[in-house]
Amino acid sequence: MERVWKWFAIRGRSVNSIAYSFHRITGIVLLIYLILHLGFLTSLRFGESLYTAFISTTVKPETLPLDSLLFLATFYHAFNGFRVVLNEFGLFYEVRRALIYLMTLLTLIFWIYSTYLMYTYIVR
Amino acid sequence: MERDVSFIIKRFDGEREFWQEFKFKARKGMTVLEGLYLIKEEMDGSLAFRSSCRMGVCGSCAVKINGKPKLACETQIFDAGDVVELEPLDNMQVLKDLVVDMTEFFRKHQAVKPYLIRRDVSYENPKELYQKPEELHAYYNFALCIKCGACYSACPASATRNDYLGPAALTSAYRFCADSRDEGKKERISLVSGSEGIWRCHFNAECSEVCPKNVEPAKAIQKMRIESAINLIKSLFR
Repeated sequence: MERVWKWFAIRGRSVNSIAYSFHRITGIVLLIYLILHLGFLTSLRFGESLYTAFISTTVKPETLPLDSLLFLATFYHAFNGFRVVLNEFGLFYEVRRALIYLMTLLTLIFWIYSTYLMYTYIVR
Repeated sequence: MERDVSFIIKRFDGEREFWQEFKFKARKGMTVLEGLYLIKEEMDGSLAFRSSCRMGVCGSCAVKINGKPKLACETQIFDAGDVVELEPLDNMQVLKDLVVDMTEFFRKHQAVKPYLIRRDVSYENPKELYQKPEELHAYYNFALCIKCGACYSACPASATRNDYLGPAALTSAYRFCADSRDEGKKERISLVSGSEGIWRCHFNAECSEVCPKNVEPAKAIQKMRIESAINLIKSLFR
């Protein structure tokens, strides 16, 4: 377990390690979400009422901030993952730091816009 | 010009780990290594650390300075701050204080065959091997590694898996594969293409950030990956 904690060690490290740690954290968040999501879908096997009960506890305006955070994790993981793929193909190695900032900026833009859409169309 | 500084050192006596603080007056231009020698000579003779050349060539004095692996002989105390935290390198077993066991690190380095492999070796009739400047430049930067272990300490893949070869060994493998005089490329590629080799790297690139010689191990690993992928594709058509 001590070794796993080292994934999140950022003291004295560069922005690369911070991006790496966030990538792992968002990956774990997405994994938990997918397990819950599949759990919800599996509940359909036990009847519509159970599924509806699950959905009614999570799909409501009060839980929108959690959905918004889930979108943040998804966008970060996707854009940062794309950066890692580019770097691992040997591309843009020299500008790897700039690429991290660019991908973080794209994440924030997509996150703010998706949250805006969520609150504009869903809450209304 | 003098300044009061405090060295907080993570110590290990073979049984327990503890932090110990040493205060002294540092003068301008004094390195962290000189500070360590001052402590050893005037305050606590039991303090253990490695050093040799004192000029950033041998790589013996790599330690974590304020959380970042660095060479103690190349880091000025005034640049490190008034409070300097010193720890042994990560991902290696601590033997005493700032001294770590580098046996595994060098075993992995040896495992990638870090030497020229040629079929025409003859000690009776040595042959001069010519090289064009552009052939030298293809690997020169990767040949500057001083095996200090800073990259290995910063690597999260090395932290997770004991069997991962690590950035220094893989850089060394690429350095010889990129050498026009070498004939052991295939042999070396097969050595580093396993799950404990180049494909274990997660491209954190912290190795390149901490390297005191700017060797850029992360770049070498990505280049080695391309070589490995090309070799794999070629092998499918053979």
